[in-house]
Amino acid sequence: MMDLTQKQWVKHTVTHPFEGFEDLRWKKGGSLKIAFLIVLLFFGASIAYGRLYGFQFYVSYDKTFNIIPYLVESVVIFATWVIGNWAVCTLLDGEGTMKNICIYSAYALIPYIAQIYINVILSHFLIRDEYVFMQAIEIIGTLWSVVLVFSAIKAVHQYSFGKTVFAIVLTIVAMLIMLFLLVLLLSLIQQVWVFFSSIYTEISYRVRV
Amino acid sequence: MTPVFAAVLLTSTAASLGASAAEPYDVYNYDRWGEAIPSQAGYIADRAVSGKDLGIGHFKNPNDLFKDHNDIFYVVDTDNNRIVAVDSEFEEVVKIYDEFTMEDGSVTTLKKPMGVYVSEYTDLIYIADNENGRVLICNYDCEVVMEITKPESEVYTQNTFLPQRVIADKAGNVYVVLGNITTGAAMFSPDGEFIGFYGANRVEATAEIVGNYFMNLFTSEEKKARKARNIPTGITSFDIDGDFIFTCTSSTSQTTDTVKKLNAAGNNNFANLQLKFGDFTPMYDTNTNTNYAAKITDIDIADDGNINCLDFTTGRIFQYDEDCNLLFIIGTKADQIGGFDQVSALESMGDNLYVADKQKNTITIFVETSFGEIVHEATTLYNSGHYEEALDPWYEVLKRDGNYRRAYIGVASALLNAGDYKGAMKYAELADMPAIYNKAFEGYRMDFLSENFTAIIVVLVILVIAFYIASRHFKKKRLAREAAERAELLERRNNAGREE
Repeated sequence: MMDLTQKQWVKHTVTHPFEGFEDLRWKKGGSLKIAFLIVLLFFGASIAYGRLYGFQFYVSYDKTFNIIPYLVESVVIFATWVIGNWAVCTLLDGEGTMKNICIYSAYALIPYIAQIYINVILSHFLIRDEYVFMQAIEIIGTLWSVVLVFSAIKAVHQYSFGKTVFAIVLTIVAMLIMLFLLVLLLSLIQQVWVFFSSIYTEISYRVRV
Repeated sequence: MTPVFAAVLLTSTAASLGASAAEPYDVYNYDRWGEAIPSQAGYIADRAVSGKDLGIGHFKNPNDLFKDHNDIFYVVDTDNNRIVAVDSEFEEVVKIYDEFTMEDGSVTTLKKPMGVYVSEYTDLIYIADNENGRVLICNYDCEVVMEITKPESEVYTQNTFLPQRVIADKAGNVYVVLGNITTGAAMFSPDGEFIGFYGANRVEATAEIVGNYFMNLFTSEEKKARKARNIPTGITSFDIDGDFIFTCTSSTSQTTDTVKKLNAAGNNNFANLQLKFGDFTPMYDTNTNTNYAAKITDIDIADDGNINCLDFTTGRIFQYDEDCNLLFIIGTKADQIGGFDQVSALESMGDNLYVADKQKNTITIFVETSFGEIVHEATTLYNSGHYEEALDPWYEVLKRDGNYRRAYIGVASALLNAGDYKGAMKYAELADMPAIYNKAFEGYRMDFLSENFTAIIVVLVILVIAFYIASRHFKKKRLAREAAERAELLERRNNAGREE
């Protein structure tokens, strides 16, 4: 039973929101390669959402293009989610390893990412009056992913319903703390960098004279 | 001087004259994202006229400027206590109004007059005689017809009556902007009776005001009486255009109701449009701890319906069309012609703008450039719904200033109306107008579908058939493979059993 290839596992988990991840865990399926590919697609989706939307729906600020915000809202958020969840659930008797959390969470994101790509394509064919279709797709995709993420976390750690909710809330708090520390670190590094670069400039002027 | 050198010099002066480089400032406008970008000048300063040029001695603190229906200009020469009537060319003085005969035959003079208005319906001159605390209404022969003084009314609670600006409507009602009064303009009936206040500003909903509102729900009456009250800023100046009165407010702290368009009932047509007048981002000066926000000190409605606003802070005129789209920004703070020190009043006649400066004591005359003329032609046509007639002027505008966003909107609208959806989409994208793009795209898609309907259906049918065949083919293959695998498995088991 359930001798599925890695590709078939992706399909199985996405289409079986309630037992898919349990099966995956039981059969020790899931591949980190596919998970990374999904995160890459997520990154692409956030850029497509920001830049490639149909003009009738959304005007992007064309004067500048900065990749950092897109990176932050996809890859960085995903990474903090995985690390935060691992950190929280290690303390909460979770059974998932970091690798498994990464794989399961990535698989659970597929409907959300697919929804973005579908909407980006549809936005070039629909007009504003038909926006309701895109909205429906967006809501369905997002809700589906929410259910999948929940069941993924539940399966990977072998939690009860209540404990999963608790773990997810704590994970979000952990993510916020991590992002805060990240911003702090970046600004401190920047100051240190400015300090050294100004010393360098100063010395280089003196040496020249 | 060699001939070559002379020629070079000549051409260079000619170029500098032709390219309106005489302006002492960089002409700018705002783009789609509210950022200032260089633009073409719509007006250039022609000359500045002082009282001495007119042969009547220098103006002293001129505070108001008005053009009547006979194209006579009235300059309120405040500190000289006189009203100077000048001809339309600003070459000759027509008459000086400084002494008036009252109805009982006595002679009266003005004391710091601040505003003047001439009504084409009653043919009377209305003068806001500030320090005398009255509004004088007289005819062209300086005979006072009526005098409006501080009203004896329970509604009028102020102790002072300091008229600053005055206008009269078609029916002869007189509106007076008063100093120190925030409840709107005082309104008087044609026979000088106080009717009430008209067009008060709203209080801006800042966080403090909203907070106070909720606090007041729980505070007692005594406490409320001791607290600072929420008071809107008063009207600074106004202008009348047909049935509408436009008011402006020179307050740097308030951003609501800086410019209002009031109908006869006193309702503001601009109230819910989220408009912003003057410069978009106020400049904050850390040295003086002041915010250089726009201070619209005078407003004028041109004959073609354009709204001209005069900003005291920057010495700039902001010209809007009747729908409050910014057309041009003119003037600056500078010593040269075209620059100002303390602007006080603004008036327009035809294509010209006239600005009074109470520090320089001059009237500066701006004339329309050819670029301004084309923009005005295009906007007038566009605003009256003649999109297609406006197309050529808009193209001409784009030829001269590729950053002029309204031109892209105009072209997109015209092309959309004409059914050129592809072109409309292109220009709507350049104008950053998703709404127009949406309509153009709808038409484009409709055209595309109806033109290629058969082709699309054929392709769809072929695709469906191909998909069907392919899936059957692959299914057959898979079934065969699975059967083979099963047979192999069975055989292996059998073999294993036999070996045992």
